[in-house]
Amino acid sequence: MTQAIVTPLTQALEEGKLNRGELKSLMQRSDGPALCKLALWMLVLAGTTTLITLAWISWLIWPAMFLHGIVLVHHFSLQHECVHYTVFRTRKLNNIVGQICGLIILLPHRFFRYEHCDHHTYTQLTGQDPELIPLPKTFGEYLLYLSAIPYWTAKFTEVARHAMGRLSDTEKRFIPKAEHAAVYRDARIMLGIYVLIFSGMAVTGWWGLIWYWIIPLFLGEPVMRFIRMTEHVGRPTVAQMSENTRTNLISAPWRFLCWNMNYHAEHHYVPLVPYHALPRLHEKLRDHIYVEPRGYFGAHREILRQIREARA
Amino acid sequence: MSEKPWRDVIAVDDLEKDWVTRVEVGRTTIAVYDTPTGIYASLALCSHAGADLCDGYFDNHVIECPLHQGAFDVRDGKPIAAPATRAIRGLEVRVRYGKVQVRI
Repeated sequence: MTQAIVTPLTQALEEGKLNRGELKSLMQRSDGPALCKLALWMLVLAGTTTLITLAWISWLIWPAMFLHGIVLVHHFSLQHECVHYTVFRTRKLNNIVGQICGLIILLPHRFFRYEHCDHHTYTQLTGQDPELIPLPKTFGEYLLYLSAIPYWTAKFTEVARHAMGRLSDTEKRFIPKAEHAAVYRDARIMLGIYVLIFSGMAVTGWWGLIWYWIIPLFLGEPVMRFIRMTEHVGRPTVAQMSENTRTNLISAPWRFLCWNMNYHAEHHYVPLVPYHALPRLHEKLRDHIYVEPRGYFGAHREILRQIREARA
Repeated sequence: MSEKPWRDVIAVDDLEKDWVTRVEVGRTTIAVYDTPTGIYASLALCSHAGADLCDGYFDNHVIECPLHQGAFDVRDGKPIAAPATRAIRGLEVRVRYGKVQVRI
């Protein structure tokens, strides 16, 4: 290998969209902002947990669990940032927090890191991007995806497969041989922890975690599916980062929950930029990327329009 | 077999402080790292997927690839974080008369 591959960042530097000084400034990391945000995150979790407790003997427990679930599924966004080591400057903290997030949402951290690497290498390329969500062909397919049923089926199958010491052919492509055993071990540990937790509930007779964790997680996941669709679905399945990824302009509470991952095209351009610097990167790249000013709902209007037109 | 000669590659004063500096030596790009314990250098290509480490994030003794965030300790080139599994090629470095010299 004598020639560096051309990354979106290399392109951005060569085309003058960014200079190296700006890049260096944008990449700087610190533990402080993330620890403060994490404290606020815990407060929000405590708040939504309290709502479930207050609504315990009424029908209001369902909207409370839904709200709590929306926060729970956003542990994906935090875990995603940890995969990139951009939440904390201290590398170990990224791994610890990422693993905890993964435990909450059934996503082993190491496996996700490898899978996500290929997503960044082959973004939106059919047959190569392991995280690609195809544009649904029908409204039925669209709704089925949003139900999160296919998602959970895939996740449970995936973790079970790894715990049994197997990888799919696609997974073998992006996980180096040296790491196969570690991926199997992670899945077994994760399932072991779940067994311990459920055994603990059975022994103590306190099934609270079903109401504070499991049901909210399943109620909230369709919201995460709704959000994940807005990142690439409906954008061209080509290698150009300026085309294949969508940045969504959304309100502050949603930005808080998704750790600024709505600035998705910026993130793909420079994955090394921490979440808190993405709005600044947006100011630099906004004229070079695809931006959906109407936010998540605007992206879905566009996706639905494309489904409608494809069927006509 | 004779050793490769030392070559001047950059003035110490021109290095980015506590950061990585890109240097072209003939047709080869090398990364020169200014660390708390001295200056180190390696070939610029990441051993994982071939991205240019000079565009990466540098902190203390660790260079992180701009594409997948695989990371390496620049003192010995060894990978310290997934997805990197192979070392990057480190270069012998010394400083003479205010110049960084490498064997290449």
